Amino acid sequence: MTFVVPVGPQHPMLKEPEFFRFEVKGEEIVGVDIRLGYAHRGIEEALSRRSYKHNVYLCERICGICNVVHSTTYCQTVEQLAGVEPPERAKYIRAILMELERIHSHLLWLGVAAHQIGFNTLFMLAWRDREYVMDLRELISGGRVHSAMNTIGGVRRDVRSEHVPTMLRGLDKLEQSARYYTDLWGSDRTILARCTNVGVLSKDDAIKFCAVGPLARASDVKVDIRKDDPYGAYGALSFNVITEQEGDVWAKGMVRLREILESIKIVRQALKELPSGPVRTPVELKIPPNETVERTEAPRGELIYYIRSNGTDTPERVRVRTPTYGNFASMKSMFAGGTVAEIPIVMWSIDPCFGCNDRITLVDSHTGKARVVSFDELRRWKK
Amino acid sequence: MPRILPQVLRNLFRKPFTVKYPYVKVEPPEGYRGRLAINKERCIRCWLCIHTCPARAISVDKETKRPSIWLGRCTFCGECAEVCPTKAITMTKEFEYTTLYEK
Ligand code: SF4
Ligand code: SF4
Repeated sequence: MTFVVPVGPQHPMLKEPEFFRFEVKGEEIVGVDIRLGYAHRGIEEALSRRSYKHNVYLCERICGICNVVHSTTYCQTVEQLAGVEPPERAKYIRAILMELERIHSHLLWLGVAAHQIGFNTLFMLAWRDREYVMDLRELISGGRVHSAMNTIGGVRRDVRSEHVPTMLRGLDKLEQSARYYTDLWGSDRTILARCTNVGVLSKDDAIKFCAVGPLARASDVKVDIRKDDPYGAYGALSFNVITEQEGDVWAKGMVRLREILESIKIVRQALKELPSGPVRTPVELKIPPNETVERTEAPRGELIYYIRSNGTDTPERVRVRTPTYGNFASMKSMFAGGTVAEIPIVMWSIDPCFGCNDRITLVDSHTGKARVVSFDELRRWKK
Repeated sequence: MPRILPQVLRNLFRKPFTVKYPYVKVEPPEGYRGRLAINKERCIRCWLCIHTCPARAISVDKETKRPSIWLGRCTFCGECAEVCPTKAITMTKEFEYTTLYEK
C-alpha cells in the first residue's frame, strides 16, 4: 500500500514553487512525479518581441544567480548570427565574470545544502565567505548580482588595472575558505552521515537520462562544455574537469567545491594573461534570416540557446534550455529507494533553479500529467 | 560537527563580520550602478535614452519636457547614461531609494 506525499507548490523545503508528488511505502520512496510550470513567466515570448539589444537585459533576468552566463550565451548566439567576433579582451573579461559567478553559485549551493541537512553553522559560514566574491563582482561590474556587463559584440566596461591587486587579494581569501570547506566536506561526521550513499545516480543512469553539469560529473561522466566545445576564452585557459566516482549527494558537493578551486585558478590565469585592446566591436543589428545554437557551461550544467532571426532587429524565436531542465529526468532514479527525510537534500543536490526552468511545460490539470510541447504544437493548441 | 568547532569558537570572540547598517555605511566601489541623476540643463531632448532603455522606464515629464525615470521599472543597467550624448544622465553611488511612494 502506497501513500502519496505532495510537496509543493508552496513548501518550506522548496525555494521556488514547483510540485512534486512522492509515492511512499512506509518510509521508502517508490515513485516521484514532477509537475513543472508554476514559475512560468512567458520570457521566451517576451524575447521575441524585443530588439536584440534589449533582450540582453531580459536574458540576464531569466536567472538571477547565473545571469552572466545567460547573457553571455545570448550574446554569443547573436554574435554568431550576425557574424561578428568579440575582441579577445572581452572574451577574457566574460570568462572572469562567468567563473566568479560559478564560485558564488557553488558557495550558495553549499550554504543551502548545509541548511537542508540541518547544519546551519556551515550555512552561515559559507554565505559569509560568499560575500568576498560578491564584492569582487561589484568591483568590476558595478552590481552585486546583475552584472549588466555583456553586450552584443563584447563587454560594456573594462577591468581596470588598479582593480587587479584587489581581485587577487579577494581570490586568496576565497581560496583559503574554499580549501577549508573542501576539507570539511570530506571529513565532517554530520556531512558524511547525511550525504554518503544518499540519492545515488549511477553512471549508466546519468548517461541514460542525459544528466548535465556537476550532477553528471559526480557520477564519473566527464562532460564539461568548457572543455568539450570551448567557447570564448576557454580554449586558451587551462583547467581540469572535476569528476567524482560515487554519484551520491556527497560526490555532488565535492565536485562543486573542487570546482570552486578550479574557477579561482581560471580567474587568476585570465587576470594574468588578460590581452590588451578594445572590449567591444560594433555590430549591425539587422540580421538576415538564419538560425543558430550556442551552448555554454553554466554553474549548473549545459545551457543552450537557440535563436532564429528574420531580417529585422528582433529575433523571431528564442529558445532557452536551462541545465535544471536537463537534470529533472535523473531525479526519479535518485529518489527511488530513498527515505522521506532525504528528500530535501537530494532535491537540492541537483541545484534546481525552477525560475529559469519553467518556460514551456504545460500541465493538464484533469489528468495531472505534465508534458512538454513543441512550439508548433503550442501554436495549434486550442483549449 | 566537531570539525567545525574551532571555527565556531573563533567566531565567538572576534568582531562580527556584518556591519550595523543604518549607523555604519559601506561605501560602494567606484563605478557602482546606483540611482540615476538627470541634469535637466544639459539635456538636449534627443530622446535617445528613451529608445535605449530596455525596461522602458524613461518617459517624458509633461511639465518640464525632459525625460524622467521611473525607478520602479529601472533595472540599473546604465545604458541610458552610456548613450546620452551630453552626459545629462549619470549613475550615482546612491543605493538607498526605498520610499513609501512611487516617486
Ligand atoms: S539604467 Fe537602464 S533601465 Fe534604468 S532608466 Fe537607464 S536604460 Fe532604463
Ligand atoms: S539622451 Fe540625454 S540629452 Fe538625450 S533626451 Fe536623454 S537625457 Fe536628454
